Amino acid sequence: MGQYLPVVCLMILAILFGVVSFVASRLLAPRRPSAAKQAPYECGIVPGRELPERFPVSFYIVAMLFVMFDIEIIFIYPYAVSRQELGSFGFWEMIAFTAVFFAAFVYVVARGALDWGPVHKYRRLDSAVSAERTLSSTIRRVGTEGRLDEKAA
Amino acid sequence: MIVAAGTFTAPSIDWFALAPLLVLLVGGLVLLVTASFTPQWPKHLYAYATVALGLAAMVVAFVQWHAITRDGPKLLVGNAVSYDHFSMFGIITICIGLSLSAMVTDDFLRREGMEGPEIYGLYLMAAVGGIVMVMSNDLIVLFLGLETLSISLYVLAASNRRRAESQEAGIKYFVLGGFSSAFFLYGIALIYGGTGSTNFNRILTAFDSVPLQRKDSLVLVGVALLLVGLGFKVSAAPFHFWAPDVYQGSPTPVTAFMASVGKAAAFAALFRVFVVALPNWKDDWRPVVWVLAILTLLVGSISAVVQTNVKRMLAYSSISHAGFILIGLEAAGHSGASTRSGMPSSMMYLMIYSVLVIGTFAVVAVVGRTGDGATDLGSFRGLSRQKPWLATALTVFLLAQAGVPLTSGFIAKFGVIEAAVDEHSYALATIAMVSAVIGAFLYLRILISVWLADAEVGDEKREAMHIPISTGAAILLCVGFTIYVGVNPEWLIQASDRVVLVAVPVVGG
Repeated sequence: MGQYLPVVCLMILAILFGVVSFVASRLLAPRRPSAAKQAPYECGIVPGRELPERFPVSFYIVAMLFVMFDIEIIFIYPYAVSRQELGSFGFWEMIAFTAVFFAAFVYVVARGALDWGPVHKYRRLDSAVSAERTLSSTIRRVGTEGRLDEKAA
Repeated sequence: MIVAAGTFTAPSIDWFALAPLLVLLVGGLVLLVTASFTPQWPKHLYAYATVALGLAAMVVAFVQWHAITRDGPKLLVGNAVSYDHFSMFGIITICIGLSLSAMVTDDFLRREGMEGPEIYGLYLMAAVGGIVMVMSNDLIVLFLGLETLSISLYVLAASNRRRAESQEAGIKYFVLGGFSSAFFLYGIALIYGGTGSTNFNRILTAFDSVPLQRKDSLVLVGVALLLVGLGFKVSAAPFHFWAPDVYQGSPTPVTAFMASVGKAAAFAALFRVFVVALPNWKDDWRPVVWVLAILTLLVGSISAVVQTNVKRMLAYSSISHAGFILIGLEAAGHSGASTRSGMPSSMMYLMIYSVLVIGTFAVVAVVGRTGDGATDLGSFRGLSRQKPWLATALTVFLLAQAGVPLTSGFIAKFGVIEAAVDEHSYALATIAMVSAVIGAFLYLRILISVWLADAEVGDEKREAMHIPISTGAAILLCVGFTIYVGVNPEWLIQASDRVVLVAVPVVGG
């Protein structure tokens, strides 16, 4: 128990500090509430509107890739430190680990995780390109009915 | 497992003994990577590759079964993995589950328009995790297998991205499964603190050492937490709440995979931990397992009666089957280390139940039609008029699940109840038989809908059912196994009797 005494002391001090702070601010602080003071605390600028955009999922995938590499490094560091002692067994283990890891990475990249921007898919152009399609047949003008400047434009 | 760097000696690795694991692992990785490069493979090919890998691993396991019969069991990779009949029986069960589920999944994915290699890759990785659990001889290795299995299953549960129910099932399973993993891990930590090791051999021998007497409460809390963690995975009451929602929401073939491979691996792990590593504390855990078994049996069979969705009914029936297998664990808690009486019947139960549940869910997947939504009891009405053979197959599966003689389900239930009676747990055996009767009501309720009721009004407007070829083959194989084992069970009983000879040396009694 003796070795835990500092931890217990620290815990008691931390609890005391919290309680004393709350009690002191309740007793000493002047009470002049305003709208800004009563709002829940958030750092940064107060948002004027709700965020309308959807969050692009590609950021999420890149973050996952980042975590993957982090994990790999976490495993490689201890190996690097005790490489001598682990010998060839450790070396081949790391090769196997890296190979499996690399297979996962190849899979993710081949499925297009790093293709940034809008997806370009190859499409057959037969339906899109033909002599019948002109500007007037493919573009429908909407919302122009009854507008005053229609004739002017 | 933890060694100081200065004293490290590389463990020798017997690659052949690990072959079933490696076949599935390497095969799964190669399947995923090559499939990601190449355009969509011709139809059936992903599934056939998975079935081929499952069968290859099963053949290797059969060869190893005979090798073990000849040379005896042993421990591998620095005593972390055991190579014995128990492992091989579990591996064969998992491979059967994997292959049959892949056959059902093939048609399902095409119908739902989500064809791709990912599901099969996840199946293979989940099977690898299950095999690691079955073979483990160390709590850390067991945990690794458990997580590999569970994480694959979380993703599989949510794999139908267009259905909100599937998403809901995935997130529910993930949150509760992660919670139970935390329990399990805490249990490992406490057992390590109490016995000084995570290895089953050392945990077994630590019981005789003097300092343990002081730390016994630490071990007991650890044992309790391990039971909670694994109880979640096998969906034993009162840790079963996730099962109905997840089984109902997941894509139907995935439910079949979960109920067969997931349950078999989790139960095999339960037996490994409690019967092989912790038999010295059996007087402490046996009463808890007794209560769990009774709760699971009653909750499973009584709650199933009031359900109206067939997938949900089958989830509750799966809970009650878990109760039956827990009876085997309770019986093993009575007997000495050399007999381990409940273990063979429970392993046999797992194999038989895996086949049964995949067959049942295969029929449900066909009846569910496009969208996988028509799984309420009403959708099964009049099935016998539309698809008499499908209705017959469903009848065989449900009667077998109820435990009717001349089907495999009878052999399974008889085995565990016989084990309980042999160990004089008469109360448990009686309650098991009563709950089997209550459970029979549920199966008969489905069968009445199938055979005696007319089709729902408006049913003729719905898309016609059709039985695709590989699902049909899977159902046929399941029916064949169910009836063959029911009529001629000796070979399976004899094979399962050998699983008691595990690789860990018998210490004490």
